[in-house]
Amino acid sequence: MPGKADGRRRKPTFNTIEREESFKQPPKHASTYPILNEFVTPHIESFNALFDDSGLPKGDGDGKGLLSIALKDIGERVVFDGTGRIGTESGQAGWGNRLSIWIEEVSIAPPRVTDRDTWSTERRVYPSEARERLASYRSRMQAKVCWTINGDAHPDQCVMRDCGLIPIMVRSIRCNLRGLSSCELVRRHEEPEEFGGYFIINGNERIIRYLILPRRNHVISLLRPSFTNRGPSYTQYAVQIRCARPDQSSVTNTLHYLSNGSAMLRFSWRKQEYVIPIMLILKALISASDREIFEHVMMQDYENTFLTDRVELLLRSFKMYSLYTGDQCLEYLGDKFRVVLDMPEDWNNRILGAWLIQKMVLVHLDEPRDKFRMLVYMLRKLYALVSGSCSADNPDSPQHQEVLLPGYLYGMIIKERLEEVLNQVRNQIAADVRRAEPPPDFLDKRYLTKIIQKVNWDIGSRMSNFLATGNLISPSGLDLQQASGFTIVAEKLNWSRYISHFRCIHRGAFFAELKTTTVRKLLPEAWGFLCPVHTPDGTPCGLLNHLSRTCRIITTLLAVVHIPGLLAAHGMTQPFSSSVDGRENLCVQLDGRVIGWARPGIAKQLADNLRIWKTEGTHKVPLDLEIGFVPKSKGGQYPGLFLFSSRARMMRPVKFLANGKGDQVGSFEQVYMNIAVKTDEIEPGVTTHVEHAPTNFLSILANLTPFSDFNQSPRNIYQCQMAKQTMGTPSTAIQHRTDNKLYRLQTGQTPIVRPHLHNTYAMDAFPNGTNAVVAVISYTGYDMEDAMILNKSAHERGFAYGTIYKSQVIDLKDMRGSSRSNSATTLHFGLGHDIRMEEGDRQHTCVQFLDRDGLPYVGTKLDAGDPIAAYVDDTTGRTRFVRYKGDEQSIVDQVRLLGSDTGDTELQKIHITLRVTRSPVIGDKFSSRHGQKGVCSQKWPAVDMPFTESGLQPDVIINPHAFPSRMTIGMLVESLAGKSGAMHGLAQDATPFEFSEEDRAIDYFGDQLLAAGYNYYGNEPMYSGITGDEFAADIYIGVVYYQRLRHMVLDKFQVRTTGPVDALTRQPVKGRKRAGGIRFGEMERDALIAHGTSFLLQDRLMNCSDYSTAWVCRTCGSLISLGYDDVSLGEVSTTGAMRPAGPGGEYCRVCRSAEEGERARRALAAGQSTDRGPAPDVAVTIPAAHVLGSTRKGGDMDVVAVPYVFRYLCAELAAMGIAVALEVR
Amino acid sequence: MNQPSQSNTSGGGGGFAQQPRQEMEYICADCGAKNEIKSREPIRCRECGHRIMYKKRTQRMVQFEAR
Repeated sequence: MPGKADGRRRKPTFNTIEREESFKQPPKHASTYPILNEFVTPHIESFNALFDDSGLPKGDGDGKGLLSIALKDIGERVVFDGTGRIGTESGQAGWGNRLSIWIEEVSIAPPRVTDRDTWSTERRVYPSEARERLASYRSRMQAKVCWTINGDAHPDQCVMRDCGLIPIMVRSIRCNLRGLSSCELVRRHEEPEEFGGYFIINGNERIIRYLILPRRNHVISLLRPSFTNRGPSYTQYAVQIRCARPDQSSVTNTLHYLSNGSAMLRFSWRKQEYVIPIMLILKALISASDREIFEHVMMQDYENTFLTDRVELLLRSFKMYSLYTGDQCLEYLGDKFRVVLDMPEDWNNRILGAWLIQKMVLVHLDEPRDKFRMLVYMLRKLYALVSGSCSADNPDSPQHQEVLLPGYLYGMIIKERLEEVLNQVRNQIAADVRRAEPPPDFLDKRYLTKIIQKVNWDIGSRMSNFLATGNLISPSGLDLQQASGFTIVAEKLNWSRYISHFRCIHRGAFFAELKTTTVRKLLPEAWGFLCPVHTPDGTPCGLLNHLSRTCRIITTLLAVVHIPGLLAAHGMTQPFSSSVDGRENLCVQLDGRVIGWARPGIAKQLADNLRIWKTEGTHKVPLDLEIGFVPKSKGGQYPGLFLFSSRARMMRPVKFLANGKGDQVGSFEQVYMNIAVKTDEIEPGVTTHVEHAPTNFLSILANLTPFSDFNQSPRNIYQCQMAKQTMGTPSTAIQHRTDNKLYRLQTGQTPIVRPHLHNTYAMDAFPNGTNAVVAVISYTGYDMEDAMILNKSAHERGFAYGTIYKSQVIDLKDMRGSSRSNSATTLHFGLGHDIRMEEGDRQHTCVQFLDRDGLPYVGTKLDAGDPIAAYVDDTTGRTRFVRYKGDEQSIVDQVRLLGSDTGDTELQKIHITLRVTRSPVIGDKFSSRHGQKGVCSQKWPAVDMPFTESGLQPDVIINPHAFPSRMTIGMLVESLAGKSGAMHGLAQDATPFEFSEEDRAIDYFGDQLLAAGYNYYGNEPMYSGITGDEFAADIYIGVVYYQRLRHMVLDKFQVRTTGPVDALTRQPVKGRKRAGGIRFGEMERDALIAHGTSFLLQDRLMNCSDYSTAWVCRTCGSLISLGYDDVSLGEVSTTGAMRPAGPGGEYCRVCRSAEEGERARRALAAGQSTDRGPAPDVAVTIPAAHVLGSTRKGGDMDVVAVPYVFRYLCAELAAMGIAVALEVR
Repeated sequence: MNQPSQSNTSGGGGGFAQQPRQEMEYICADCGAKNEIKSREPIRCRECGHRIMYKKRTQRMVQFEAR
């Protein structure tokens, strides 16, 4: 036990001095926390892989980047000028000259200032500038377009084309921050811990999220009832493989089982699905005879009548096509697909057919023979599935999943855009040829250059748009199930949230709307790859996961060409062997290629050998090779030995027991392995591996919950969410940040109780909370229902004091009156002549806030409506103001003057950082690190707080009822550990799974407390702060790390008496921002009715809402037929009878017109002409108001109180021809 | 492009009296150099050509009630 009075110097465990030193002097040649660069490697290396100079291991390839490989895959586009005479050599259809055009290479440079800028001494552009100027961090992309005419290559036939500015991933190989040390990063206005992995779009940091995809190059069997809807004779059985090309784009091939025993291959081309009989493909690939196909599928298993029946049917059903040779099949395919593929006109059907198979069928394999073997394997697996000898695979299991990495997706989109542009060039030329006025001359370089310039090559803006919106605009859909939601903003709310963004992995937007919950299930296969704790609750629960701490994603190519030979040398039968017995042999596959066959015993031996070789590094077997040996079983997964060396796989480190070396385990093989979590769980002869640490299966954030093994598991889930909503330290370079909103805790502390990973992940550089003395006591009643009492003095000392930084951007370009052209601006920041600057009574009020340049003084305090910027309009000569909106006082923290990209324009855009102080108030939310959140209910004066025998007062009081139902024992242990740690000056290790029943945490910390003179169990006698009496019970008091959550009442409170109303209904508007009300809805109405509180009901729904009075006709009951006679001067009647009217002359138009109509009819019946006759007597009345004692209210009209919407409803109904009549009593 | 001279030509038109060209001192965001920039001059550091400027903190007394 440290801290004894024996004079020994205690070794500090908080590393305060070292940390301060690293803050003052960040390392000059390395980074402070290297692990942070490690955990974003999948982001960065996948982006680097796009380029030829990525510096990644070459594996078996030539080290070409994905873009170069993609360009090769795009190939060339061909046009003919149509000048050839029919029948001549230049084309039997009169094609003429053959122009073929392709993109030779694309190059992307690091971000630099434009060449027009001649004054900048630093030519490189750094991310901090993009962030501060609210611009994008991007650089120029160029493509080299080449062409040949009739196959004659000429070095002159190429042109460079600008492709716009393409966003660059920060800290990637094209980023100017690449490989910089912490010290240099600080000099570049970054954080010392900056690790990159994101893009900067309009000043926002956006990342492409990991997405779960089906494992590439591996056949999975599916059982989906929905497959039967695909057409007649389709069944629920299918096998599927997602094949990935070397450029990481993929094609999914599905083999459907038909009820007649045959199978159909399905693929999609430009979002259109096509199905082809499998026999057609099998024959087309290697011109296989029926017998060859029969033998390959049967594999000597002739007794299996199930199989023989189906293969026979398969072969017989294909007879109707009358296609016998491979060439016939290819020609058939080419003929059917000619229009769809849109390939050169001079290609014959056979070439087209071969091209289709090469492009769409099992694209991960080049050789037709390999494709044939793989298809036969798929067919065998399909029949095994149908016969029930193997089970369907679970596509939701991580065993059959891999990750879509940001860089690969980025590369796929670029590839598709380039292909699209090339097609456009081709179509443009073809259109010119068709119009033929003047006929284009292919030999004229200027013509082709012009055409290439004419087409829109702006790929950069497309990529910016993709990153800014996350929407994928693609003609092919990229073999993905969703078209949006690929990118998210990496919010720097606090460090925990920020780093979590880079480890989160989404199941796919498609699954979010699925009604079934099976995809959300936590499967045992996910152990060690996806964290079981760190997932949000609610809608995205189980779909949005986070990678476990040690989970890696493979981004490098492995050298595996020698593996088939190596295995063959150790007993594997070669794949071309004709006499392999399918019953006795298991298939051996490497990345979805059949490399041989082996008997189960030998396959097992091969797998064991490979594992020893790869861990020991012998036989050049790479460590990241995944060796999935699926043993034979009754109705289990289809057996075989499956080796994976591809990228984008999830792997994790464990210890191999056989030789004590480190091993990497993939999600496929893990299912068939025995990995002990702790060394005492090792079972001899069964266990092969052991975890490096029992906490490795948790994500970074879940690892940071202290003593999480003591808590009920949902509480740990809550803590992972709340850690991400904490007001903490978002950044150490806060003056260079332009985020919309930043929450900052002024008094952050390092937790006394923390797991050892706290130091590893730089958590001390970004503190997230405060150590608080917490008493668990029901004291005043203000701690009921998860409320907590804050010590007023602790609050006054700065406990949990926070600040919000808000951004306001003022861009004169968006203001009214700005000129469209950018040459002459009409708006300028500044104060015009109409503003009196000189002091005195006539000084303009804005001078208090604004400087001569029209910008606010840095440090001024602003209230709602105060001017924060002034600008002069040249056309009117007047000064206009931008005013501060927002109902809180704030302080101008920073004013940034933002120049243009080239730095040659005057000031048009400013960025103002406003600082809002947020000291804790009643209603603010706090939480410990154990999912125990609560709201501050009182700031209790220190004199009235309870105190211990040593006079200590708690900072926070929480209610004991918070514990029994939630069972967060971890919090109780933390309290103990915190108390003893504070007394002894120790940073207590709170790593989970360190204590056991034999070695109890209570004993360990109890002894420490005892040594410090406290009660062993953490209870202490306490005295009431009000009466001074000792409490009957001892109170549990200790030190717990408290987080202040960002949910604060000041952002949430909503109250109104009167305020704005909706123009149409005259009911109060909704929404906090508009000073609206909270809806008193139907269910609330039901409650009031049930209670019989009719007065309250009347008050809520009428008087406080849209109370209005309306005239209603007693006779006809109409609300909408009000008319007015002008009776202010009296009335003149020619008919003699005075028409009834209200005091203001109100009358019912419906009734009056009915009455007049009646009178006219009666007159007509009496034979009188209405227009003729003697002049009638004139009667005159005086206004009713002038008549004394006139109590008559007004004709037949009456005033009633109705809701205004009711009147509106009546009017709407009247428009539909429905009359509403009210009965007035 | 004649960028340096552009600022002189684009000055206030429309027949209104020319603004008095008051100089304000700003701080370059990159090199920290003090830059005197008149209104309607391009935002660019004279030392390093950087395109972001910070406004200096006010010289006036800033006094708040601490509550």
